[in-house]
Amino acid sequence: MALSATEKKLDHLHWPLVLCTLIICSLGVWNLASATKNAPVALWWVQFKWMFAGVVAIAGILFVDYRWFQTLAWPGYLVALGLLAGVAFAGKKVLGARRWLQVGSMQLQPSEFVKLAVIVVLARWFTRDETGARKGQYGLVDLWRPFVLILIPVALVMKQPDLGTAMVTFAIAMTMVMFAKVKWRDLFILFATGAATAVLAWNKFLKDYQKQRLLTFLNPEAYAKGAGYHAIQSVIAVGSGQWSGKGWGEGTQNQLAFLPEQHTDFIFSVWAEEHGFLGGVALIALYAFLVLAALDVAANARDKFGSFLALGIAALFFWHAFINMGMVIGILPVVGVPLPLFSYGGSSVLADMLGIGILLNVSLRRFMF
Amino acid sequence: MLVRRDVDDIREIRPRTAMGALVCVCALLVIVVRLYQLQILRGEDYTIQSIANFRKSLFVPADRGLIKDFRGRTLVDNRPSFDVFMTPAFCKGKERDEVIAKLREYLKLTPEDVERIKIDYQKSWLNKDKLERFRPFLVDLDIPRDQVDVLEAHRTEMSCVNLIPTPHRAYRASPSLGHVLGYMSEVTPEEMDDHPEYRRGQTVGRRGIERRWERELRGADGKQNIAVDAKGRELDKDTQEALIPEGERLILATPGNNLVLSIDERLQEAADAAFPGRAGAVVVMEARTGFVRAMVSRPSFDPNKMSGRISRSELARLNEDPLKPMLFRVMNENYHPGSTFKVVTSLAGLENNVIGPNTGIFCNGGYTMGNHRWRCDKPEGHGSLSLKAALQHSCDVFAYTVGDKVGLDVLGEMAHRLGYGQPTGFDLGREIPGIIPDSKSITPEAGSARAQAINASIGQGEINVTPLQQAVAYAAIANGGNVLKPQIIRRIEAPDGRVLKEFQPELDLANGHAGKLEVKETSLAAIRAGLLAVVNEPGGTAYRSRLLDVKFAGKTGTAQVMKLGLKQKLDPTLQQYYSRDHAWFAAYAPAEDPEIVVVVLNEHGGWGAEAAAPAAAKVVLAYFRIKKEESAAVATPPVSASAAVR
Repeated sequence: MALSATEKKLDHLHWPLVLCTLIICSLGVWNLASATKNAPVALWWVQFKWMFAGVVAIAGILFVDYRWFQTLAWPGYLVALGLLAGVAFAGKKVLGARRWLQVGSMQLQPSEFVKLAVIVVLARWFTRDETGARKGQYGLVDLWRPFVLILIPVALVMKQPDLGTAMVTFAIAMTMVMFAKVKWRDLFILFATGAATAVLAWNKFLKDYQKQRLLTFLNPEAYAKGAGYHAIQSVIAVGSGQWSGKGWGEGTQNQLAFLPEQHTDFIFSVWAEEHGFLGGVALIALYAFLVLAALDVAANARDKFGSFLALGIAALFFWHAFINMGMVIGILPVVGVPLPLFSYGGSSVLADMLGIGILLNVSLRRFMF
Repeated sequence: MLVRRDVDDIREIRPRTAMGALVCVCALLVIVVRLYQLQILRGEDYTIQSIANFRKSLFVPADRGLIKDFRGRTLVDNRPSFDVFMTPAFCKGKERDEVIAKLREYLKLTPEDVERIKIDYQKSWLNKDKLERFRPFLVDLDIPRDQVDVLEAHRTEMSCVNLIPTPHRAYRASPSLGHVLGYMSEVTPEEMDDHPEYRRGQTVGRRGIERRWERELRGADGKQNIAVDAKGRELDKDTQEALIPEGERLILATPGNNLVLSIDERLQEAADAAFPGRAGAVVVMEARTGFVRAMVSRPSFDPNKMSGRISRSELARLNEDPLKPMLFRVMNENYHPGSTFKVVTSLAGLENNVIGPNTGIFCNGGYTMGNHRWRCDKPEGHGSLSLKAALQHSCDVFAYTVGDKVGLDVLGEMAHRLGYGQPTGFDLGREIPGIIPDSKSITPEAGSARAQAINASIGQGEINVTPLQQAVAYAAIANGGNVLKPQIIRRIEAPDGRVLKEFQPELDLANGHAGKLEVKETSLAAIRAGLLAVVNEPGGTAYRSRLLDVKFAGKTGTAQVMKLGLKQKLDPTLQQYYSRDHAWFAAYAPAEDPEIVVVVLNEHGGWGAEAAAPAAAKVVLAYFRIKKEESAAVATPPVSASAAVR
């Protein structure tokens, strides 16, 4: 009986999504092996282990009905905030930023899990809140609580400082808000406020190097040997890939270290350099499939909570992929955002896998009323 | 109920997810379009840029051409040597101090050197260009062999230190050829602007042949393309071969051409040895071709020092030396010719029929014009003498009389015909023209034209000549009237020995008579008879210098120098030196069938007969001795073979 139930569950599993994830994971490990060919440690193996841990975690998540996450939303959110606070006080400082928590021999980047916590807590809030249903639409004032929920972790991440993650977290949350019924007029006000905040942030809160990065984006050639070096070398790497790339392990920009941070933020340049336009488009198609599948899960979820969860995960993957690739190919400023399942980093991989797990869970449960 | 409402909500969400999907696809399409732009439209540009990133061109310096004497002996070649460089980026902080301390010990650096190295190191780090610190800078040039060994032994301790093999110029010839050969020094930024084929740190010929024939000697540098990583470090061999196509890895350098001079090294050494003075010049030139066989300018400098490790103080000493070692006396300094100029006066007299070969002029010990009396060298007078005797005894009154009669301009015209008063055309850099005054150029303060003519007739007054001009003039008298352009390059040869250009004797076309003297044969014969008597007849001023084996002819000269007030600050011995006359001797040999002209100028040497003529005689003797030995060597095959190898 239990067996057949499991079998049934397996039948309803979103296999295309699983397949897509596994393909991205495999390509990611393979690409990472090239990017870190000259590294003293086999980072691709570390990454693989994290992915395996992610698969185990997904399997674990699938056994639990995602509705139970509503119960976990607040504790999860608070734990995430606690970890962020922990980072602020006891975090490991690397290159001037406190982003990591040392847990045993591992380094944990709590901001990666904060995104998930925010997604879950917002999904819960939009599910429970009656205002929207009562009024038919949300006004801006009605949304003050979700905004507080968003802004606390964003502010803490910003403080680390980690501009990229803060921006992505905010973007994910905003996307979820947009899927709730919000008045267009209020959305406009929101954007205006956002712009004003940006100006204020520029003048008051951004660190010099962050400003520098943004400025560099606007005029990379002027900073060729300094701040713009990342951007220019990345574009050269991508461009020199041409149609089919230089081949695995043959990317000169990558292998000869002209590409900075080639195994984390700039992993996509490695891919584009070695596998060219065709490889690049293929990878984009995989991410597109992932995001579209997530939106599909959202559209077909059993309940509002599941739908918002799926939306959040879709936003998570979309914004990461879009901002990361955009930065690598020089149409967005250089901010540190990982490419999901491609960039090296245990926390990020695990968080992404948990996201996939949630997605699969939502997709699975629509058949189980 | 809850589920019911959820379904409604989701129904409302659905169109938004569709819209979201559209937005996502559009956004990702933007990325695709941008990829297309970068990888397909501009792909080739970026490929070139990515190659430029790792590809580094190293210069492969061309071997500079050799300079040989006309018998094939090597005067200048290149020797392998090592320069020490340091890359700041590879030794930071404490390592820097350790490395500098070691270098100081191994290379025996002075505290000044250490200071300079520290400053260069600091500069590299402070440079705006972040890559500057990856560029090696020069620590020490051309280090001795034993230091090379020491550095090699400690190589692993100092990974930031590089030994770069660089060929340095080796001047094997006697330093008396310093001015002729020139030397090498580092190219200046201005020169690099004009000649982009030179790169920083390369040397370029200075002075003499090295400078004049730079283009032939230099050759063309080759190029080696290597692959480096982002820090500028060279990659391993396999990666190199994978990244750089075979045909582009090494473009060989084209070595420079060799120059074969007309200089005879043995004669050069003999001339240098024969020359007795502290300062002066010796020129030995082929009388019929103008090719220079030996050329001494004393004092000289050592081109090896000038091209390499010369210290600031040594350089300062060279520049402050009152004898001016950097001055090329053969063609860059003026002297009164003294009595050697009497051949000009005599020729002018003969050609203008003021005198005949046998005309007698009476010398009573002086010559009076107006209220001024010019004294003869022999105060009691020579009595009546012919041209031959006048030259033999170097009678001044004879010259005064002739000079006064022909006048300054006629005298000057004859001087120009013999090649005085204008550069000889010797192709070795700047050459001064000397001074031959005429009635237009003289100033009244210096005396009337007549007085000037009388002064000029014995090579004093305004007349100034270079030793090289003397050689040209006496060669013209010796060879029957050809005013030759002095030359020093016989051949240009390719590195494989192929002759690229053979130089032919040339006339000095700037003498106003298309390189010819255009004087009567009888006039020349009369002059030659006088010059022969100078050396070979009792009473001749150079009779004591005559040779048993070779009959040569010549003329002594003793040029009075102006007593300069400035020189009074010098110590008495130096002052005595500077007030002595310049001694000249201009000769050709053999007298009957002249092969060479020898000009000796002994600055402040005193009497020409004592301080110049014996040296000239030694040179003449050496010339014939060497000639005999070398022809004997050629006659015997085995010796000839070894001579050719040499």
